[in-house]
This record gives sequence, C-alpha cells and structure tokens, in this order.
Amino acid sequence: MSDEVVSEEVLKGIIGKSTGTSKVVVERGPVTHFADAVRSASPIYHDPAAAKAAGFDAIPAPPTWPFVMDFSGKFPEMQVGDTPSPHPLATVLGPLLASGALLLHGEQEFIYHRPVVVGDVLVGKGSIVDAYRKESKGKTMTFVVSQTDWSDEATGEPVVTVRYNTICRA
Amino acid sequence: MGEQKLSFDDVAVGDEAPVLTHELTRTDLVKYAGASGDFNPMHHDETLAKAAGQPSVFGHGMFSMGLLGTALTDYVGIGNLTRFSVRFARQTWPDEVLSSRIVVTARREEDGRKLVDLAVTLANAEGEQKVVGEATAELSDPG
Repeated sequence: MSDEVVSEEVLKGIIGKSTGTSKVVVERGPVTHFADAVRSASPIYHDPAAAKAAGFDAIPAPPTWPFVMDFSGKFPEMQVGDTPSPHPLATVLGPLLASGALLLHGEQEFIYHRPVVVGDVLVGKGSIVDAYRKESKGKTMTFVVSQTDWSDEATGEPVVTVRYNTICRA
Repeated sequence: MGEQKLSFDDVAVGDEAPVLTHELTRTDLVKYAGASGDFNPMHHDETLAKAAGQPSVFGHGMFSMGLLGTALTDYVGIGNLTRFSVRFARQTWPDEVLSSRIVVTARREEDGRKLVDLAVTLANAEGEQKVVGEATAELSDPG
C-alpha cells in the first residue's frame, strides 16, 4: 500500500509540466561570497580587472552558481508570476514527505552555453523532464528530474541548463 | 571567452589535475548555507541533526560539488566548462579530509571545438567516494 501514496498516473502526469519562469539578476557581492564559500582563491571572482584580463566582460560566476542564483537575485517585482499551483514537484513529493519519506539530492548537472557573468539578467524556464520509481532493498525510490533552461533576457541566447534529480526514499 | 590555463596541445588522456584537499569544518557549512540560501538545519544545527538521528551536522552535497568545481576551474580555467554532472554517493562529515581527483578521459575535436572530457571524484582520506561525476571543458590554444 505504501507505494500507492502517489499513484503511477499522478507520477507520470507531472512529466513535461512547467514549474514556472524565474528571472534573476547576477550581482557582484553574492557571486564573490559564493566563490569564497566554495573555496576558490582566484582573483577573477574578486577583481574586475583580473576578470577583464582573463577575457571576461565582467566578473564570472563559479560553475555551480546557477543552482543557487534564485536565492539572492530573484527580485519579486521582476517575476511574471506563472508558477503553477499546485506545483508539480509538490504534487508528488508532498504526499511522500507527509508519509515520512526521506528527500535526497541524487544527481546534479549543468550544461554551459556561455559563462554566467555579473550584470546578467537571466530568464529561467522550469519543467519536470522525468519522473519514475525504482525498488531498491525493499524501499521505494521515487525520482523526479527537474530542469531549468536559463537564457539571456537581452538576447534570448541560451546560457545554462540546470538539471536536478530529487530522490524520495520511502 | 574563458581563462587561458590549460592548452589543448598539452593535454593527454590519463593526465590528472592538481589535487584540491580540504578538511571540512562547520564554518564551511555555515558559509555555504549563507552564500547559497540552503538553510536546511541538518547542515548547521547540531542539536536538530542529532535529534534527527544523525551523528552530527553533515555537508551540503552542493558544497562538495562546488569544491570539485573549484578544483576543475583551477585546472581548465574559469569559463571553459561546457558540462559538469555528478551523482551524490555519500554524506560528508565535519573533520573529514576531502580530496578531489580529476582525470582526463578523452581529448577530442568536434565541429572545430577542442574538447577535453574529465572524470571527477571527491573522496575522504579513507578513499570513500562522496561525489562521482564527469565534466567537459572547451580549450583554446593561445595565438
């Protein structure tokens, strides 16, 4: 019965669903703090002159920055407000978590089309790209793969694709 | 666009990047929480972590991936990655000594782009793998 907390129809039904649009501004202070937090000693993250000398128009962001850029750069007045309700991720994970399942970050992937740099205004289109279940050692593992495709607001060019695999273990 | 650090001509399959080694501290976790916005108390609140049955607070998976990202950009240069993908295998714990291992697995030219594929892992001093993945960098040659 426990694996019926979320039916197969509900699980498969979220594939392809939009999770909404985010708009973020990439700012120097948060990027620099993040570079420090992931223990980079490179002057390129601190000094605009060093960034220019390395060929960048502005200070670039570390490779895993796109995972967290919502936190400091997603200002409410910029948002288009198309986040679906109920959110497709919550449709599946909500009932599983409520039944005591454990939430894990299983995999993470970035595909870079160009570096993210300070001053960028980026538009992220989110969607659920896969959802499936596996049995492992008597436990039910529910996998949900979310993706955000970030593009440059000014040019429409793709910048970075962020793919996030959430595992719920019941 | 990207930092010139490693020349495509100088790379060979089997080459290894300099190892980045770091002893994980609780301060690292607090700094990462503040910089990322991930305030899951399991990563900074020892009392709550123990009440939840954990031996102590434990590291953010994305801190480990971030550390590997730093080891990668130290090697291939900032701004040159085209892909970075990992699987989180095990939790990390304060006082563990984490080391990166980055190995060149392929060197190829595709549509005039010079690409290097890398296998990446982060492991503790006992060799227990925490994060396992792969990355690709596009390198240019000076001149």
